[in-house]
Amino acid sequence: MIAIVSGLPRSGTSLMMQMLQAGGHPILCDDQRAADEHNPRGYLEYDKVRRLRSDNTWLAEADGKAVKVVSLLLYHLPAGFEYRILFVRRDLDEVMRSQERMLATRGTADGAEMRVHFERHLQSVKEWIGRQPTMHIHEVNYTDLLDQAETSARAVAAFLGRELDIDRMTAAVDRNLYRQRKA
Amino acid sequence: MFEPKVKIERSLYDSLKRAASAAGYSSVDEFIIHILEKTVAEIETAQSEEEVRKRLQGLGYVE
Repeated sequence: MIAIVSGLPRSGTSLMMQMLQAGGHPILCDDQRAADEHNPRGYLEYDKVRRLRSDNTWLAEADGKAVKVVSLLLYHLPAGFEYRILFVRRDLDEVMRSQERMLATRGTADGAEMRVHFERHLQSVKEWIGRQPTMHIHEVNYTDLLDQAETSARAVAAFLGRELDIDRMTAAVDRNLYRQRKA
Repeated sequence: MFEPKVKIERSLYDSLKRAASAAGYSSVDEFIIHILEKTVAEIETAQSEEEVRKRLQGLGYVE
């Protein structure tokens, strides 16, 4: 079984990975993308994931571990594994503000259009996951991770069927890093 | 209320009518509207996912 932490970039996937790591769940990541001002505690990403569309031969390395896969790349996960997907959801306006801070220039679509594109994409990928027999999804609300960390951590551990250190998972949540909260 | 109409060939209409009946639709209109809605949604989703791909590429999450 592979635990997948997914969602849109800047939706809280790094926090979810940090919680899993703190709780004792093995994770698959490398040091290709270092911590920065946008994510001071690190991204916990695996560089090969970015090429998942053209190369999934590495995926066996993730068996028994948790790996971050951005939502758009979920479509490219091959059959042959069982996936438990922790799909982190966050207010789209917050996600977009946070992303735009990271981008040197704005995206190709304007804010209102981009929001519609994200909504359609999230709906589409959720429906698609629902049709995949080897994929199971547990939606995690980013605000709940911050406001109800222990409850969220317990739900995550139950979904993954793992004995995780709930106290350490809860302690991994640093509310001071939640800077893009909706006004 | 503005109700646009679209002209199609009789032979196509007859095919749609037979297909609508076979698929259990109550009318040809209902069948055509369903097909069009589904097709538009597929095209819009494909467009959106392309825009999302560009955004994610800009952020360094996909190649």
